[in-house]
Amino acid sequence: MKITISINLGGYAFNIDEDAYEYLQDYLKSLEREFEGEESASEIISDIEGRLAELFRQKLSSYKQVVTMSDVSEVIAILGTPEAISGSNNERTIPHSSRRIYRDPDNRLLGGVCAGLAAWFDINMWVIRFIFILLACGGGFGVLLYIVLWILLPEAKTTAQKIEMHGKPVTIENIKESVKREFNKVKHTMNL
Amino acid sequence: MNTDNTQAQMRKGILEYCILAILSRNSCYAIDIINELRKAQVIVVEGTLYPLLTRQKNAGLLSYRWEESPQGPPRKYYELTDEGKKFLAELDGSWQELVTSVNQIRGK
Repeated sequence: MKITISINLGGYAFNIDEDAYEYLQDYLKSLEREFEGEESASEIISDIEGRLAELFRQKLSSYKQVVTMSDVSEVIAILGTPEAISGSNNERTIPHSSRRIYRDPDNRLLGGVCAGLAAWFDINMWVIRFIFILLACGGGFGVLLYIVLWILLPEAKTTAQKIEMHGKPVTIENIKESVKREFNKVKHTMNL
Repeated sequence: MNTDNTQAQMRKGILEYCILAILSRNSCYAIDIINELRKAQVIVVEGTLYPLLTRQKNAGLLSYRWEESPQGPPRKYYELTDEGKKFLAELDGSWQELVTSVNQIRGK
């Protein structure tokens, strides 16, 4: 059994599996990012959404009423990745200076501050935790610093932010990989 | 050197020309253009077409109207404007020049 979500895509209503929904949403988000700054970005994206809807409809019948992960993958393969669509073939790597620091909710002990900093520095999170513990023991400064950072740093909530936190470019491949990993983790913890 | 990349760049260069050439014969839906480009093997993924159509429309080369479609919501029906026709004629000229140049170099 799976939870489905109902969406409106290009004027059609669809029922879509939860994992497929997330994948599709990330695809559309990275399209938006790819066309950011283009004057008719919304027009291009609504054309693509219209085409997505047509392709999904071809995959559905009275025996198959829900859009699945494999449908989304196939349709994206037909339309192409956001990079291929916009024709930008520059490999975008994020320079370290412009990487954002987030709190990492997946590896947190308290607020995910240390795990987030470790992702930013590309080092083991126990190194950062050890430094904080040392600072906390020596006069309590570490506790204060931790609380301030907890308040200041945003939590990496979306898949795109989590990818960004690790300094990888937010591409559809990275998103897909990361959604799959999360999905498997949930499956594992729920013993499905 | 990556041959795939070179081929992709070549295709990209002539894609806009091909779109205008298809529309000069008759007005059609995006999907008809895609099918024809697919058949001629100048397009790999469908999505590439939509930004090009929108940019050409913004440049005044194309216009579209909404047409009712038998299955589902209305679709955009594209056609060449007068400016588009003039532009295409210029491109026809440059294409001929290119073919002649390449043939001249390769024919030796």
